[in-house]
Amino acid sequence: MNDYSLTKEEELTMADRIEGVKKLFTSKSARVETNRGDAHYEKLFQSCQTRIEELKTQTPSKNRLDIDDLLEDQGVNRRDFMKWASAVTGMLMLPASFTPLVADAALLMNRAPVIWIELSDCAGNTEAMLRSDGPKIDEILLDIISLEFNETIMAASGHQAEAQLEDAMHTFKDKYLLFVEGAVPMGMNGQFGTIGAEGETMHDHLQRVAKHAAAIVAVGSCATFGGVPAASPNPTGAVGVMDVVKGKPLINIPACPANPANMVGVIIHYILTGQVPELDSLLRPKFAFGYRIHDNCERRAHFDAGEFVEEWGDEGAKNNFCLYKVGCKGPMTFNNCSIVRYNEGVNWPVGVGRGCIGCSEPDFWDKYAYERPMADAHIKAPTGGVEKTVDEFGLGLLTAAGIGIGIHAAASIVAGKKEDGGEA
Amino acid sequence: MITKQLIDQIEGEASIFFDMKDDVVDFATIAFPHFRGMESILKGKSALDALVITPRVCGICGHAHLMATVRALENAYKNAGYPIELSKKVEIIREFTLVMEMIQNHFKWIYLTIIPEVSKLTDSTRESTPLKGAYAASIASKAIAIFGGQWPHSSYMIPGGITTDPTNIDLLKVESYVDELISFFEKESIGISLEQFLSFESCKDFNTLSSDISYLESSLVTMKMNEKGFAYDRFLVIGEHTFSKPSKLKQTRPFGIDAKYVNTIDSYSPDKVSYAKNAQYKDEFYETGPLARAIATNLPIVKNMHRRFKDSAYSRVMARVFELATLLKHAKGLLSEIDISQKSCLKSVDISKITATGTGVVEAPRGPLLHTVNIKNGLIQEYKIVTPTQFNIGSSSKSNPTPAQKAMIGMTQAEALFIFRTFDVCSVCTTH
Repeated sequence: MNDYSLTKEEELTMADRIEGVKKLFTSKSARVETNRGDAHYEKLFQSCQTRIEELKTQTPSKNRLDIDDLLEDQGVNRRDFMKWASAVTGMLMLPASFTPLVADAALLMNRAPVIWIELSDCAGNTEAMLRSDGPKIDEILLDIISLEFNETIMAASGHQAEAQLEDAMHTFKDKYLLFVEGAVPMGMNGQFGTIGAEGETMHDHLQRVAKHAAAIVAVGSCATFGGVPAASPNPTGAVGVMDVVKGKPLINIPACPANPANMVGVIIHYILTGQVPELDSLLRPKFAFGYRIHDNCERRAHFDAGEFVEEWGDEGAKNNFCLYKVGCKGPMTFNNCSIVRYNEGVNWPVGVGRGCIGCSEPDFWDKYAYERPMADAHIKAPTGGVEKTVDEFGLGLLTAAGIGIGIHAAASIVAGKKEDGGEA
Repeated sequence: MITKQLIDQIEGEASIFFDMKDDVVDFATIAFPHFRGMESILKGKSALDALVITPRVCGICGHAHLMATVRALENAYKNAGYPIELSKKVEIIREFTLVMEMIQNHFKWIYLTIIPEVSKLTDSTRESTPLKGAYAASIASKAIAIFGGQWPHSSYMIPGGITTDPTNIDLLKVESYVDELISFFEKESIGISLEQFLSFESCKDFNTLSSDISYLESSLVTMKMNEKGFAYDRFLVIGEHTFSKPSKLKQTRPFGIDAKYVNTIDSYSPDKVSYAKNAQYKDEFYETGPLARAIATNLPIVKNMHRRFKDSAYSRVMARVFELATLLKHAKGLLSEIDISQKSCLKSVDISKITATGTGVVEAPRGPLLHTVNIKNGLIQEYKIVTPTQFNIGSSSKSNPTPAQKAMIGMTQAEALFIFRTFDVCSVCTTH
């Protein structure tokens, strides 16, 4: 039987460490203010409504279809559409009174031309977008979204496609949203990635297409922070869009792949307000990245109760216990996967017993993407805007043999339960 | 005269350089002008990290990469003296998700790539319905997500099994997705029941239909694609699954096959930098993919096609369409065999104890995908990936062309571009 009693000195260090762990797991991480008061929302409602009225007077771009017709064609009734609209309203952190405006905005999506270019990527975000949210609704919206150019899914090809890009850039000058997927390879004078007839480097291509965009949306981990090509040793000198394009409104929607619900949310927001949504310091929209996976995780109760999966296939795994000890980086990762999930809300990695790899954070391939807790890896854990070393957070605590009890005590204190501390 | 043609609607970038003589292709070389360096990114990492990294090689076939990685790791465990046993449940679920990924790939290819191309080339006024492919693919990816967590880029396979422990409700949900896919396919694509479609033994049977697929088939005949696009008429199937039979095929004669004889050589692309390699078997070029797999399993209708039209573009396209049907039926059968009481993951030793080399092969949508990993004390020393597009669409010299190059010779440029597409290009995989 193990003896868990500690020396006086160890007890003091342990107390420090428990403090550190408490801080990590309970820090007020939510960076999005979800109630700004009536006055604010009333004003916002007015300005959105004005903008919607304005957009209604504009003619739709090219041959875009009317969503009412399409909805009817596809057998989606008005009720389902409004349900979807209210879900999006909630996701955008707006009060329910905004639902009709959001519905209107969706109907006007064909006034927001989108050009989508791919750089050094795997096309995962385009693949995800093609299956985006809502029972058939977002697919319909894709038809209406005025996707002027996306090389993977558009009908034209080759030189004809190039011409279509030039045409779109000209017709919608200064008005289009530029979605960028894939990193920018800067190594070897940009020769690790070239596009198009003239063999334009991806960097030059990006700069040229971005020049007359209204705003740029970098989609996926590669376009936001460099992604997998930028993982050590970064053979092609890959960087994200924000490192290369300056002087333009930029929104980052990271994750690998990015959640298509968030992509659609950004577009709707743009239609509603004509502006980029509120962003955090990494230029990520707060409505999606203002809280951590850990904050909304379905397995949080197990964490609080100190119930962990110790190794794959054990009893804990069968009972959906917390995945922290097999490497879940939920506490360090900001994203809305635990709420919105993937593939139309069907599931998400933690749901199948695989811990979060932190894919919406910069440099996560080097910092987070492994199935062990961070304790043994000497890296920084960013929470509360203050960078501390792993040691100061007392994460070393989490791999000790008798840890089950130690963490239970710490977590129970954290969860506010009344328990005798120092049980370890 | 060399003209350059850009290829869109594929994952990544590709260009074909046509050397035209008298308006037909004398020869064509292919360049893939982008590179990310995945193999050097994997070097030095813990071998288990490959499970999350390799799916990111590709957005449409990432799941195949995941399975190849886990097979390579399990093979390394075996070679290090710690063989891993998998429960039947694990084998079935892994194969099921792999098959669903193939299904979504084929749906997408048919509706987003090949039917639009056919319509263009036959000047058809038929209504374009690309979203049919996107819809079907979304149902298939939901089925994968129940077991895999998300699609693209699930990472639910680990050495010893899977992380998921499905319940009966999960199985019910998955089955409903598969049923929906089948009825969608029956109603929207083939216009006949799946069972009846699968009973076809002759190409003439397609004439009894009036649907997207029969439109595709008759257009191929109108375009004379049953007389064009011939490659070497020799094929490779290497991955072991219950829906495939590994063999080397010369026309339809099967021979034994061993993954160790796969070799790669540098690509030949004089007009432009290309980061691709060509894959060969014992220094020869072979074709891979649905046509290869159908011939290997002796599928009557594909044998009939091959007897009449050899390895023409027609056979290549229709084999892929037919594979979609067989896989839909196969997926449903797999589900009924799952016994959820079996173990999801059987314990194995810590990866740090492993020093060995392992190879994992799977049949990906376009053919065999091979991962070879050299591990020392749990860390990757070297990781090599060979993709099916490297077999089919490499770029070599005129005296020894790759299958795609051979198929394009003597065609007009428009025909050659179409024939190129029948190989189902995946550019990001090829260069990784």
